[in-house]
Amino acid sequence: MASRAPTSVSVLGILRATSCRPAAALKLQRFYHSYEYTQPPPFQPAESAILSASISHVPSYGFTLNALTLGACDAGYLDVSTNLLPRGVFDLVNYHLVMQRLALKDTVQFPTEGGQGRSSSIGAKIRALTLARLHANRPVIHRWQEALAIMAQPSYVPASLDELAQLADEIWFLAGDKSVDSSWYTKRASLSAVYSATEVFMTQDTSKDFVETEKFLDARLEDAIKVGGFLGAVSGWVDYTGHSALNVLRNKGVRI
Amino acid sequence: MATARIATRSLARASSRHAAHPVLDFLAPTTAAHASCQIKSRSTHSAASPAPIAPQHSPPPEPFRHHKISHTLTDEQSDFLDSALRVNQAGELAAVLIYTAQTPPLVRSHPHLRPLMKHMHDQEDGHFRYFNELIAKHRIRPTALYPVWYAAATALGWGTAVMGREAAMACTEAVETEIGGHYNEQVRVLLDWAEKLEGKGELGEELDTLIQQLRRIRDEELEHLDHAVENDSKQAKPYELLTNVIRGGCRAAIRISEKL
Repeated sequence: MASRAPTSVSVLGILRATSCRPAAALKLQRFYHSYEYTQPPPFQPAESAILSASISHVPSYGFTLNALTLGACDAGYLDVSTNLLPRGVFDLVNYHLVMQRLALKDTVQFPTEGGQGRSSSIGAKIRALTLARLHANRPVIHRWQEALAIMAQPSYVPASLDELAQLADEIWFLAGDKSVDSSWYTKRASLSAVYSATEVFMTQDTSKDFVETEKFLDARLEDAIKVGGFLGAVSGWVDYTGHSALNVLRNKGVRI
Repeated sequence: MATARIATRSLARASSRHAAHPVLDFLAPTTAAHASCQIKSRSTHSAASPAPIAPQHSPPPEPFRHHKISHTLTDEQSDFLDSALRVNQAGELAAVLIYTAQTPPLVRSHPHLRPLMKHMHDQEDGHFRYFNELIAKHRIRPTALYPVWYAAATALGWGTAVMGREAAMACTEAVETEIGGHYNEQVRVLLDWAEKLEGKGELGEELDTLIQQLRRIRDEELEHLDHAVENDSKQAKPYELLTNVIRGGCRAAIRISEKL
């Protein structure tokens, strides 16, 4: 996505130009997912080079301008090349989020019919995918609270929530979800809530191999299933009672 | 009398036709509503194809094996497909619910209509299933107002059915006219893309199948329109009011579902 040149040399023109890029960056692979046509890459080549080099410095330097500058140098660019990233350190956080989300389809394999006779349920796949994504935070987990603080800044909140929604969508899709009604929304909303709560928990989890985080995740998923089950039962009851009443009235001769 | 109107959007988006078969295709729908395909407006489609961007990662294992084309769909094309398929799914949901709600009151007073209602319902069900598959496969967001359309379509179907056979048929006629025009416009836009892509040898099976299926679905919707007219839809007592209100509602619903 080419950044547009300012239409005038005025301050307003420059502000408009810089504000165009976050909007352009928001429109990632949101739309029709084609299997035949190639998807556009999530980052431009220069951005991608700088950010991928910077990510390797995050464990030592955190999500800071320092890491970005070192990354720019590693990639063979000048220090000022970090101006290519108008959102600064948020672009670094975003890069991590996007790349880990896109890596899910390659890194997570499910046991197929060949071995045990039947493939795992969607619930088990959701658990596996969410855990995989959480474990992908391990290299930078000691810096993750910083990243959360960056994401919580008001100007970056929409983009962060957008990324969270895309992650939830990716996980459900890879788990084999085929819902196309309002449950599409409720499933993704509940998974987003579970994932973000678990991610925050993970930042202060000191257990070996993050077993406490796994238990926390299992507890949250169970809660979500219980609530979903209850709401489904209530709506099923209402549906059934309504139809029964209608049919009884029709049998009595009421012309409805 | 039904006024032959196509939504003005279709005129704004119509492109110049060059190949012979798309013209014949548009002559196939025989109802009056589509007699105005001789209106040609020459605004060209604004999508410009970008230079193909080489993917930076090796293609991940896809559940559906397709031959990969190096062309990338533009944002406008992707956006169009996204909102078009979302609206189509919402429309078919509404159609299925209208027929489901219309059938009990209608068939009670006119038992001879049972086979016709069943036939139309089953066809709409097939369309609904098809769009559901596409939405799940291509990861399109379904309409957020799903429960609203559910309630509205059920109410519309039931309401017109208790008003009488002619009113129910007038409702079908109004809905099918709007939907037929809507699908026609989509086919037009997609054929325009297909023409351009075919010239570069980049037309894939995905788009090709989509166009064929949309044509088939459009033809079946227009067949329903014909059935409704045959069954005295035009004798409905508040004919103009009913049809105009329903068509207006459909257009509003289409516009809303495109975004929401």
